Amino acid sequence: MKILEAKSALLSNHEVFTFLQNQEREYQEQKRRGPGNLETLRRELLQYLKSPENPLSQDPPAYGEESIAKLLERLRPYDIQKGEMIMIMNLRPVNVPMLNAVLEDMEERFTAEEQEDICNGIQEVLGSFPPKAQEGDGDAMQTTEGGS
Amino acid sequence: MFQLTKIADLVQIAPAQFEKHSRVAIEDNINAKYSNRVIQKIGLCICMYDLLWSSEGLIGHGTGLVNVNVEFRLIVFRPFKGETILGRISSATPEGMNIRTDFFEEIFVSYKELPESCEFNHNEQLWNWVVDDDRMYYDKNEPVRLSVIDEVWHDQVPESTAEDAVEQAKKISPYSIQGTMMKEGLGVCIWWDDAEE
Repeated sequence: MKILEAKSALLSNHEVFTFLQNQEREYQEQKRRGPGNLETLRRELLQYLKSPENPLSQDPPAYGEESIAKLLERLRPYDIQKGEMIMIMNLRPVNVPMLNAVLEDMEERFTAEEQEDICNGIQEVLGSFPPKAQEGDGDAMQTTEGGS
Repeated sequence: MFQLTKIADLVQIAPAQFEKHSRVAIEDNINAKYSNRVIQKIGLCICMYDLLWSSEGLIGHGTGLVNVNVEFRLIVFRPFKGETILGRISSATPEGMNIRTDFFEEIFVSYKELPESCEFNHNEQLWNWVVDDDRMYYDKNEPVRLSVIDEVWHDQVPESTAEDAVEQAKKISPYSIQGTMMKEGLGVCIWWDDAEE
């Protein structure tokens, strides 16, 4: 074995999710089973990506392939690093504390209004979880579904 | 969390697999070798992403194996330093918390990386975050966000071929992640998710 290039690209969770789902479907169609270690890992990884706190768990999907370009366009005014962008895609921070968890030195880099606007932008393009049903404060919280 | 790694390797296809299409046989061989395994300083291999190139198959002398040189890209789990990821609390000790995901279990958050007013609750064996006399619980199985601060690699090469040396070497995980929760937005997800501005 020889490593030719340790890191030739970064993948978002969405890309890995789509790849594994397609693989699972193709294998089923071809009545083919991969090696046991792959089948186990694929099942566990899909389970992780579909866990309730993961945006990818939403059905129908809140965003798709085309959302990446839209998000970059929407957040163009802000200087956000590539790695941070991937985290935004993966974790979809829609409020300021969550955004703080993915942006380094957020307070110094962005004003309060800018932070708010970034969160709104993320919600516009990537959507958000519907408000929890049991909690009484269902006061006109319309979620903006991404993708249109 | 995920990256692509480009690798060159030799694949050996056994005669029993000759009925498969070459592409399928090559992919199965690569996945059997790499999937769910750690390559030192690379990460946890998930599966083959695409096959970039393969040579003609050459039949090995005396074995009947078909040897194929291949180049391919592999999906690899390797969260970068500073990356925030989701996990679940698997257990807690006075030293900190063990965090797991469905497919990877070796994540640790030291007590030094918890917010300052955290204390260990010996009765319940879990960590508490005390804010203005309110006690919040880092419950077991609770979904959390953490940020990666370091990674530890351990090459599982045994010191000798003796059975216990081999067992000993396997005990230490080949790849583990150290995380922090000392930042607003990190820690138990539900503390932050419903925060309406």
